[in-house]
Amino acid sequence: MSRLIFLIIGICLLLSACVQSPDIKGDGYAFIKSNYPVVSVNGVEVEPSYTLDIPAGENTLVIVYHTYRHDYYCTFTWTAAEGTAYEVTDQYNKYPLTLYRWVRQNRFLSLRVYPIDPLKCSQEPRR
Amino acid sequence: MYVSIKSPLSFLLLLAINTSVVPAQADGVLPGLSALSEADIREYAIAFVNMSTSPGLEGAALTVDNDERHSDQWRSSLGFNAEFTLKDHIFNGYWGMAVVGGRLEDSIEFIADNGNPVQLDVTREVVGLRGSLGLSFPIDKYFKLRPFLSLILSDMQSEVILDDQFVLDYNLPTNRINNSAQMWSTVGSLEALYTRWYGNYQLQLSGQYHLIYTKSFSEDNPILQDTEDWNDAAQLKIKFIGPTRLSSAGRPWQWNAYTNYTNFLSTNEASLGYNDFFEIGAGLDWEINIKPLDWFGWQFLGIKAGLIVGENVEGYSVGLTAR
Repeated sequence: MSRLIFLIIGICLLLSACVQSPDIKGDGYAFIKSNYPVVSVNGVEVEPSYTLDIPAGENTLVIVYHTYRHDYYCTFTWTAAEGTAYEVTDQYNKYPLTLYRWVRQNRFLSLRVYPIDPLKCSQEPRR
Repeated sequence: MYVSIKSPLSFLLLLAINTSVVPAQADGVLPGLSALSEADIREYAIAFVNMSTSPGLEGAALTVDNDERHSDQWRSSLGFNAEFTLKDHIFNGYWGMAVVGGRLEDSIEFIADNGNPVQLDVTREVVGLRGSLGLSFPIDKYFKLRPFLSLILSDMQSEVILDDQFVLDYNLPTNRINNSAQMWSTVGSLEALYTRWYGNYQLQLSGQYHLIYTKSFSEDNPILQDTEDWNDAAQLKIKFIGPTRLSSAGRPWQWNAYTNYTNFLSTNEASLGYNDFFEIGAGLDWEINIKPLDWFGWQFLGIKAGLIVGENVEGYSVGLTAR
């Protein structure tokens, strides 16, 4: 019986740790997590990265959606709120990628809200 | 209604009794049934499990009603499929899990060799757990190929009831026989998925092929004691999705209309009375866009209703959908 109680407590502790807000760099910053590599931040090429601290305010990011025939360079421009997390993913939407605001709802659930389409997705031959 | 005992297609159910449930009885206990092979009986049981548990199938209630048999079958599943990112690779991972269940009530009447009518009722129930793992290859932004492997563990319970007169005529020890079998199935699947937007409307085309290997074990049914079978199935799905003006909690609803065609290619039609059917229906999906445990994205929760038609089968499908 005690094993069962410990097991339940363990599962609860595990679950309570599942949805955690990201550590944001500090005042004046927001955070973005992308399922596909970010290759440009505000006009500056960067090493392909899946998580980034970005300055609050207007940002322009280029994120690549790779396929076997083409690469799609999707450009997102939006105003990032300070202390806020964002997430980019593919969801069978009109464009290959969509930017969402990521919100921690509770320990079991996070939300994707306020979708933003890219300004454009440029198709280029696969490199 | 009555059918000739010499008609093999009608008596798969009877075979199940003759061979698997009364193993101690010699041929002739149910006269005329020896025309049916053990393979027929095995296929009947495995077809029911496959048609209840295979990937790509959705909840449905099906009825077969013809001169030779009346059967009601339903199946249901609760599960989820999603892709996950494999960083630094073009392909993504794909996984799925589902709890599946099904029930079959099959009723048949026949004329035994002594000329008396015999009523036979077979009830089968199956509960299974399905896990899938695979890869998703985006060919371009419209088209994906998705090979994946599924493992299904299932438990099937069967009950066969013979009418009393038949039991008396042939001096059988009982009119009610229960048995069970445990099965594991390995399914290799390939899905081709094409998605395209036309303005605010989305077209989804999907083709799936499944190769199913089933191994069964049973302590009380010799036919399913330690046996195996191969089957395959194919599905074509067309779905058209459009926006609505509805929203709840600030999140929009979409409508959809769909048609599916399912064919259990290598399954003998006699096993369950059908092996292919069309489904046509419509649904509403609410964009919830949540991530349980911050792990996988759940974009839509929906309701749907559809009609099922086939050469020998009809039915309906009503239920919740998640994608």
